[in-house]
Amino acid sequence: MKKLLLIVLISAPFIAQLVVLPFVNRIDPIIFGLPFLQFWLFLWIVLTPFCTLGIYQLQKSEGSLD
Amino acid sequence: MQQGNLTALSITIFIILTVVLIGFLAGRDKATRSSVEEWSVGGRRFGGLLVWFLVGADLYTAYTFLGLTSTAYTAGSLAFFAIPYSVLAYFISYFFLPKLWKVANEHKLTTLADYARERFDSKLLSSLIAIVGVLMLIPYICLQLSGIQDTLQVAGTGFINVKVVVITSFLLVALYTFFSGIKGPTYTAIIKDVLVWAIMLFMVVSLPIMHFGGWNPMVDKIVTEAPHLLTIPDSGPKGVTWFITAAFVSSLALFMWAHAATGVFTAKSADAIRKNALFLPLYNIVLILVVFLGFIAFLVLPDGTDPRFALLALIQTSYGGIGQGLAYSTIALASLIPCSIMAIGASNLFANNIYRDLINPKVKGPKLTMITRGMVFVVIGLALLFGLVFPQALVSLQLLGVSGMVQIFPAIVISLFWRSQSREATIIGLIVGLVVTFTVYSTGTSLGIYEGFWGLMANFITVVGLNPFFVKKAKHSSNAVKKYLFDQSSKEEQLVRKGA
Repeated sequence: MKKLLLIVLISAPFIAQLVVLPFVNRIDPIIFGLPFLQFWLFLWIVLTPFCTLGIYQLQKSEGSLD
Repeated sequence: MQQGNLTALSITIFIILTVVLIGFLAGRDKATRSSVEEWSVGGRRFGGLLVWFLVGADLYTAYTFLGLTSTAYTAGSLAFFAIPYSVLAYFISYFFLPKLWKVANEHKLTTLADYARERFDSKLLSSLIAIVGVLMLIPYICLQLSGIQDTLQVAGTGFINVKVVVITSFLLVALYTFFSGIKGPTYTAIIKDVLVWAIMLFMVVSLPIMHFGGWNPMVDKIVTEAPHLLTIPDSGPKGVTWFITAAFVSSLALFMWAHAATGVFTAKSADAIRKNALFLPLYNIVLILVVFLGFIAFLVLPDGTDPRFALLALIQTSYGGIGQGLAYSTIALASLIPCSIMAIGASNLFANNIYRDLINPKVKGPKLTMITRGMVFVVIGLALLFGLVFPQALVSLQLLGVSGMVQIFPAIVISLFWRSQSREATIIGLIVGLVVTFTVYSTGTSLGIYEGFWGLMANFITVVGLNPFFVKKAKHSSNAVKKYLFDQSSKEEQLVRKGA
């Protein structure tokens, strides 16, 4: 379970910011005053630190940090 | 070029001189230049926040502001590749920088080339990495040079001789770097970062109101008048494939730069680096906003404006006087302070890994420290020479630098995790990667994919393909760094397993 979560947290930033780009490359809908592509990139500026934090916590709980 | 603005020019020059003075004051204590380790990485005593400022100062340069706005102005959303690039760079760094820092700390290493020499017992590899590092860094310092030059040119036409002022300011920076080492740019970096955030937020709020009556009317106007700016082209030499591969390769390359590594090695603990990897992506919020400034310039400025001056012209037409002065000094500082850190990184490579590893292995102690510090003048002098004699286009130069720099990734990062990676395969891979990158670049056969991506693929395939031929020797040989990396960590893992 923990391992699966780790894999998800590690791959999410890459998938969101590289792999799915062709699908989010659009103007509509405009969210918070940002066209969709820009909104999406903005969203992942904020979400990526949470992924890192999650990985950090997981590693800490496993004691694999020193 | 039209007449400049005297108020803006005076403010810019005043702020530059103040910061140079602070740079000198930072080095009052003689200890700052007592050894290579003190001078170049501050004795590894910097806490999380200071490293954040330093790495931020390092990576968000005049190029960030001038290059990105001019890319946005001409090529629209392609400029946004910088966002996933730097967000992912910090994310990836979380997985290898703490480890690299620990090795460097344990073995008193100050450059990436030092690490490669100890890891592979190869002075050939370390000097190769140093040569690549210095070769790629000098054009990058030139970029900073043209940043400050453009700023002074727009503000100072008709008042000053721009070249004289540029040369003077860079010599002052070289002097304070020689004197204070990494302490100089660190303290001034705090001033620069605060100014960057304040000025960029101020511009992003005020410019849309001034020109369009608010943020939303501005976005509506871009959507109706210039929708092509808001999406990445689907095809063409630079389309979405280019965007993805450029962002990915650049993110691997970021911490291969000598100046980024210098910033990282100043940290006092591996945890300070982890925290930085966590919080640095937030810096990119500024970056998204900067790209929008390029779009504003596209709508506001008359046709035929030189894209290189897009942001600077936008600031001059919109504010003039004090506002222009503050914005210009921010850009000038964003050019001078990273330049200082880059000069430290390049000098370190020059002295430790080219001069000592290749020419005079006996040099050490105070003499090596002096040579390292003196190299600052050589590096900045070379940058000035190239920058003033061959003034180039901002972005493409930096892009080729990234493609070249990323080729040391297998030698530096993969080798932290792969015990039987051999010296021979790594060296050949590095050379193949460089050759492929430059061939693809000069023949224009990239097929819409980032040049560095081809090079890195060739590099990886070469290392993996050739390694079996040399693996026997690599497996049986051991040294202090290998022991530290692999034997100790495997012991720890066993302990953890037993404990669990």
